[in-house]
Amino acid sequence: MSTTRKLIEALRERLGQADPLPSPPAIPRIQAPPTRVLPTARTRSCYAEQAAAHTAAILGIGHVGTRYATDVVLQFQAELAVAHDAVHTVLPDDWAQSQGLLPLKSRVEDHHQFLLRPDLGRRLDEESLERLRGNAIQDVDIQPILADGLSAVATMGSGMRLLETFSNECRFRGWTVGIPMCAKYARVWLQDEIGETVGARVACILLGERPGLGTGDGLSAYMVYEPRMGKTDSDRNMISNIHARGIVPELAGRQLAMMAGAMLDQKTSGVSLDLSGLTAELGQAASGGYREPQRRVRLVETDR
Amino acid sequence: MQLAATIRGTKYRFDSIKEVLAKANPPKSGDDQAGISARDPVERVAARAVLAELTLHDLRENPVVPYELDELTRLVEDTLHADAYQAIRSLTVGQFREWLLETSTTGPLIRSISRGLTPEMAAAASKLMSNMDLMIVGAKCEVVVRANNTLGLPGRLSARLQPNHPTDNVEGILFSTREGLSYGCGDAVIGVNPATESAESTAEILRALNGVTTRNNIPTQNCVLSHVTVQMDALRLGDVPMDLMFQSFSGSEKGNRAFGISVALMDEAYAMMSELRSSHGPNFMYFETGQGSALSSDAHHGADQVTLEARCYGFARRYKPFLVNTVVGFIGPEYLEDGAQITRAALEDHFMGKLLGLPMGCDACFTYHSAMGQNELECLKVLLGAAGCSYLMSLPVGDDIMLNYQSTSFHDIPSVRGLVQRRPTPEFDAWLHEMGIMDGLKPGPRFGDPGVIR
Repeated sequence: MSTTRKLIEALRERLGQADPLPSPPAIPRIQAPPTRVLPTARTRSCYAEQAAAHTAAILGIGHVGTRYATDVVLQFQAELAVAHDAVHTVLPDDWAQSQGLLPLKSRVEDHHQFLLRPDLGRRLDEESLERLRGNAIQDVDIQPILADGLSAVATMGSGMRLLETFSNECRFRGWTVGIPMCAKYARVWLQDEIGETVGARVACILLGERPGLGTGDGLSAYMVYEPRMGKTDSDRNMISNIHARGIVPELAGRQLAMMAGAMLDQKTSGVSLDLSGLTAELGQAASGGYREPQRRVRLVETDR
Repeated sequence: MQLAATIRGTKYRFDSIKEVLAKANPPKSGDDQAGISARDPVERVAARAVLAELTLHDLRENPVVPYELDELTRLVEDTLHADAYQAIRSLTVGQFREWLLETSTTGPLIRSISRGLTPEMAAAASKLMSNMDLMIVGAKCEVVVRANNTLGLPGRLSARLQPNHPTDNVEGILFSTREGLSYGCGDAVIGVNPATESAESTAEILRALNGVTTRNNIPTQNCVLSHVTVQMDALRLGDVPMDLMFQSFSGSEKGNRAFGISVALMDEAYAMMSELRSSHGPNFMYFETGQGSALSSDAHHGADQVTLEARCYGFARRYKPFLVNTVVGFIGPEYLEDGAQITRAALEDHFMGKLLGLPMGCDACFTYHSAMGQNELECLKVLLGAAGCSYLMSLPVGDDIMLNYQSTSFHDIPSVRGLVQRRPTPEFDAWLHEMGIMDGLKPGPRFGDPGVIR
């Protein structure tokens, strides 16, 4: 017998027939762990309470081993689900018409392609271009465009209120406003082709923004002076975070009209637009459009 | 040069090495968007077969952006280590892959030839490797750096603490910082992405972070990730405690121009930090990269996003950085569509960065419009830990409330460290022990208690 085989034999002999694991300890009395909940207005740790005054980050949540408490996991999953749901909701084909809006579509064929091909989302398909030429009022001061963007949930939620408020604010200021329209599978830059086609002085696209955790219903508005294909991001101004818990649509519509007024006065937009005179009215929008932290809303409650 | 391969009677021809490199890439939505990817899986393998026969010399002679057009190509070509290059130049890419995988090829050996490699060579090798190949070689490479602590030693896994706040509220930033520290995070850097790009605001955040690390004697580094010119202005304010200086990189001169930087500017920034930094060690720069950044500014020159990513590393190594990480899933599904592509890109970037001698970390992350979920992201974190990734990010439940994406959480760091048996940097490890936050790989009595930090 080779040395190796002998060694293996000896090892087998030593280990014998015994179970490889010793028997477990006596069954313990298992007590329910102490309640650890995601901080809410009613129940939060002292640290969470203090932190919430300064940040929307989820802090003071404790731990189970090195992982999250069950309640934290559920809250977190709910927030993620809301965000994913917003991204994956497709604007129904008949929605625009049901709201009395001129229906337009980009060159994107389906939702999957919409996520992967931003270039196609920036151009109208042939049929839409014809429809736009045949129906739009030409040479208007302002052309508002409602669109799905990355959250059709937001568009169908507060889209109409934002569109109507903004359009009324513009008419109230004596400007001509283009016919109401809604574009499907639209990216921000689609406003360039639409605005150019109708000869608008200012184009403003109102569209669902990329969802964050628990915020699938936010709209953003992007505005450009003298819309032409080839304009870049530095030619645009924007207001984000438009929803019930952020900037409400009525306020956003008014702010957008003020911004449009500045563009018509100064005949420019983007980085060269001076909004310093409107700081009080526009708030964050005047200083670059970063979001105010918002209080987190607890999404999961169970009935007992 | 003949660039053709035959598979089952069909001959696949390629016009250039750049085309071979692009078509040999695993599927990436960014390469599809650029219109340069293989038209089907068979053509992809044909391209790999051609690539496997090319020598490393061929790759040096054919950079994906010409020498005359691009300062990154010139930088790599003009500073390549002649002896190291001589040692590997005649290997084919296929042989190079095998040499890297051989047991006898140790970390020190790889380090000895690293300065003779061009980014195109590192990218080419990655295209012939499976995910586990990438992990095996990535884990072998040894890159150890030092600032206020020592990062990248064997058996170590570090974490950037990322206490971002949408309006740079310093109190809010500090609440997140204290909580992160109490989970053992923050040994790579406490680094804030600021909402406001001003020298004053950068200085204010740096002073606040420095207050925490000084009061509590924490052996780590701070950083505010504003544009490099803003950080230079902050240094000019005087008496600003800046441990690391940050900048994002792209893989071509044109891409870097879109980022507002150049080799000359980075040389100037590096010289300034050499004089004015508040950290101790020889390494004090921090860079971030990510596949797709060149294409997004139309600066890709028809090259694939993996090769362009490697070119960022060719640029970064000039400055002996303390940290480099790929922000792998941040750019969105039009560049990396789903969990499989994000996972692949993370492992490629880690491998290429380490091979080129960089202390590579990874922001394992996704945006909410990518086809990736929480479980897949958790798997990627463990893979990176097993591959010897130098550091991961860490945020409250992984949720960045300013940048709106999902990354690694405070809780994930001790979890991954436990699973792959890796500890923080030795200096930070000792501090955690002293504070009662960690007891080796196990949570200590004050674990998760932010009250322990003053």
